Amino acid sequence: MLEVNIKKAIGSFSLDVNFSVDREILSILGPSGSGKTMTLLCIAGLMRPDTGFISLNGRLLYDSQKNICLSAQQRNIGFVFQNYALFPHLTVKENIAYGIRNYSREMNNGRVQELLELMHIPDLGNRYPKEISSGQQQRVALARAIAPSPDALLLDEPFSALDTPQRERLEYELIGLQEMYKKDFLFVTHDLAQGYKLSTRLAVFDSGCVAQCGCKNSIVTEPTNRTVAKLTGIKNLMEGHIVSINGRDIRVLVPELEKPLKILNSNHNHLAVGQPVFIGIRPEYVQLVDQEGENTICCNTLQLVDGVTSIHGRFNATSDVEKKYNFELDLLRFLSTGTAEGCSCLLYFPPERLVIFNR
Amino acid sequence: MTESYLSPLWISLQTVLTTTFITFFLGIAAARWMARYSGRYRNLIDGLFILPIVLPPTVVGFGLLVLFGKNGPLGALLSLFDTSIVFSWPATVIAAVIMSFPLMYMTSRGGFEQVDINIENAARTLGASEWKIFWTVTMPLAWPAIVSATILAFARSLGEFGATLMLAGNIPGKTTTIPVAIYFNIQSGNMDQAMVLVVIVLAISFASLAALAYWKGKARRTVPITPEAL
Repeated sequence: MLEVNIKKAIGSFSLDVNFSVDREILSILGPSGSGKTMTLLCIAGLMRPDTGFISLNGRLLYDSQKNICLSAQQRNIGFVFQNYALFPHLTVKENIAYGIRNYSREMNNGRVQELLELMHIPDLGNRYPKEISSGQQQRVALARAIAPSPDALLLDEPFSALDTPQRERLEYELIGLQEMYKKDFLFVTHDLAQGYKLSTRLAVFDSGCVAQCGCKNSIVTEPTNRTVAKLTGIKNLMEGHIVSINGRDIRVLVPELEKPLKILNSNHNHLAVGQPVFIGIRPEYVQLVDQEGENTICCNTLQLVDGVTSIHGRFNATSDVEKKYNFELDLLRFLSTGTAEGCSCLLYFPPERLVIFNR
Repeated sequence: MTESYLSPLWISLQTVLTTTFITFFLGIAAARWMARYSGRYRNLIDGLFILPIVLPPTVVGFGLLVLFGKNGPLGALLSLFDTSIVFSWPATVIAAVIMSFPLMYMTSRGGFEQVDINIENAARTLGASEWKIFWTVTMPLAWPAIVSATILAFARSLGEFGATLMLAGNIPGKTTTIPVAIYFNIQSGNMDQAMVLVVIVLAISFASLAALAYWKGKARRTVPITPEAL
């Protein structure tokens, strides 16, 4: 169990985060400059926070009140860097063996070979890092980080420089590693899909704070603020206020649209009539319909871009006078007939797919 | 005759080897410290370290003379132990160390700064002590720059004239190094003796350039050093 509650200010940027990792892969999601890497450096002992505490399995690594700050060497935390940071002058074997201590040479060799086989690169032991592919380099970096049996593993966007097939294979490997070692893994990424795939819980960072932390499903379906909504792919956000609440049925009036939108949401204890709110919907849930009805909006088609499985479109609401509302859609191919750039059309927002949160 | 004829060569060799040895360690220590130091006096300290290469050597020599002279702070301290540096053989070493230090420092600092801090950090998270990291990661990776720096410092101390003459003077058989001997031989019209020394200096300089080129070619093909032992 890794518990982190730290504050640190550098220039105009301030970091103030609080979360815990409990024998799982916790993904930290956030835009660049939101303090993700800084948090990892503080946990690893490569950067010193200003105040707070960090504890790992009950052992205090840092506590500003008790004046405890263990060095990176004493923390026993593995770190996988974005650029791999392998030792270029050492072979793959020597890289992996670098952190293994207190064993005889034969035992070390056995452990290194075991790790090479675990990472599916048994034959690369005598190569130098520049002689192997970037995917293989990242496998070596993973093997090197877990070689000293660390109590926790920190991964700083480790797969972002890899191509898709390599990245996907390594994601499976990482899930496998976590299931095998049952240690705390902290995975930093800016890719929601990747974080969602690897973790059961996500922490969303925004300008140095934890904007939301919890079960991945609730983060995606019930974002509590604008940053989380944007970051988790809710591209269509509108500002409005609640006109009525009736059981699960909430009506929100967005001034730029003609009629209130209906939202079906069971988790609205914190909402009240008249309250200003954001409502949003993912591009893939918006539908193109023929007949006007509830939650339909008359729009102009601005642009259609051909994707592999769907057509991405941008539309703007025709009744929109002051503020131009642009909607983004992903239409399945067979549903996208009947519209062309410049034509008007009807968009339908399914009430159960709309999300709502405080402004 | 031959003995005094070649004595500047032996004096120079002793001075240059001692100087290179001292400068090597001083330069690396200063470079390693400054490469990761980001305090408020960074520019000031950096400026002080490279000052000898900016100033005319005679000015540096004058400064050293003031410092080590009878009334200077270091001279007064040494006179307590009944020793004096000025116009003695150690003065040639002191002058050459001061003059070659900036080259050693600047070149090896560049090498240390080239080392990706993440690579050192990776070693830290793997539990390696700072000392082990320095010897097994930082030094091997900065090694090409350090070799260049050492050869440059060696060449610079071999050619040292101005500061040496100011601090050590021209005492044949004691402080007369090759460059000083060449100058005074020409002054007194001994062109033949000057020529012999010039040829010797040329040979040593070309040999060190060749060593640098050979080493660079070799380094490109293989990996610097393997710290198997550590």
